[in-house]
Amino acid sequence: MEILGLVVLGGVMGLVFGLALEKSRVMEPGILVGQFQFRSFIMLKMFLTATATGLVVLAAMTGFGWVELGPKAMAIGPVLIGGLILGAGIAIAGACPGTALAQAGAGYRDALFVIAGGIFGAMAYGFFKADIDGLLAMGDYGKITLADLLPMPFWVLALGFAGVLVAVLVALERWRPWRDDMGPGGTGLWDGAPKAGEADGRRDRGGRPVEA
Amino acid sequence: MPSLTERVWSPYVAGVIIGLLQIPAFLLAETALGASSSFVTAAGYLASAVDGGVAQIDYFAKYMTSQKYFWQSALVIGIAAGAFLSARASGTRRSAFSHAWTQMVGIRSAWGRAGMGFAGGFIMLLGARIAGGCTSGHGISGMAQLAVGSFLAVMAMFAGGILVASVFRRV
Repeated sequence: MEILGLVVLGGVMGLVFGLALEKSRVMEPGILVGQFQFRSFIMLKMFLTATATGLVVLAAMTGFGWVELGPKAMAIGPVLIGGLILGAGIAIAGACPGTALAQAGAGYRDALFVIAGGIFGAMAYGFFKADIDGLLAMGDYGKITLADLLPMPFWVLALGFAGVLVAVLVALERWRPWRDDMGPGGTGLWDGAPKAGEADGRRDRGGRPVEA
Repeated sequence: MPSLTERVWSPYVAGVIIGLLQIPAFLLAETALGASSSFVTAAGYLASAVDGGVAQIDYFAKYMTSQKYFWQSALVIGIAAGAFLSARASGTRRSAFSHAWTQMVGIRSAWGRAGMGFAGGFIMLLGARIAGGCTSGHGISGMAQLAVGSFLAVMAMFAGGILVASVFRRV
């Protein structure tokens, strides 16, 4: 595709992505960090749903031979250490790299500082890449997927794993309906209002919160 | 069908929409959804405005010239615009920073939170670039490709996040 077409395509896809992040409230720090505190499960539900959908889509598109996968490398040192640092940063920032942009668009001005910090973090890696990579170079197995390790084609494994994720999501939703994690303002915060499962915020036997 | 004027959508609707974005990503942009590479593109242009030699550093040069990263930069700008329109359409207003920060870590000043956010953003992107991807690239896209490294990345990401969030107050 021509560069102008790619930019327009990216912009339109971003609009849809940002809409989904704002509406699902995954970009709310109270909900995102709440997932790490196991008091809100909205982020995990959205994340696993997006993964399951992607698995089905990629099973079909690779199965028909329309596209090829482009997995990232399995390099234990950088992926493990980088992932730990990334996770710590997400908790402090209250955002992922993509959701920081959604926060800024939705009106949180601190997100502008998260984005600025992110640009400098990426710059720091660029300048010290050789040293950092040298320090962490271990266990590089290349760009492997489960389909390379198991004697089954990608589409079979992908559909199977998508099925497992759907089962997990159904169980999660039965255990904890997503609306119970939203909070009255959709921020994952209660500010004194009773939560489902607490006094005056009880659920009935069907799992629905009981009106006070 | 969920409407634009609704304040919240279920995480399942949002997840399916984001997952379906892999179709145009793979078919038209010939890459997977991701976000953190665009920060390298921005960093490269910013640093080269100060020192032109930066554009000659291989790592920055790659992210400043490949078309894939122009697509991703447009994507993240679109994310901000999409979230803006979504909040507008539903009449959702937000303060300078989420009240969650006052509840979780006791921050009351916008500048205090700005400093914390900057530090968090720095750590986040440093980690993402070391790992080679973020919650989108390694998470949503990597797991959807059954990439072994991405499963490890997601586990490490959650471990790091859970560890840090455990020192915050639960609200």
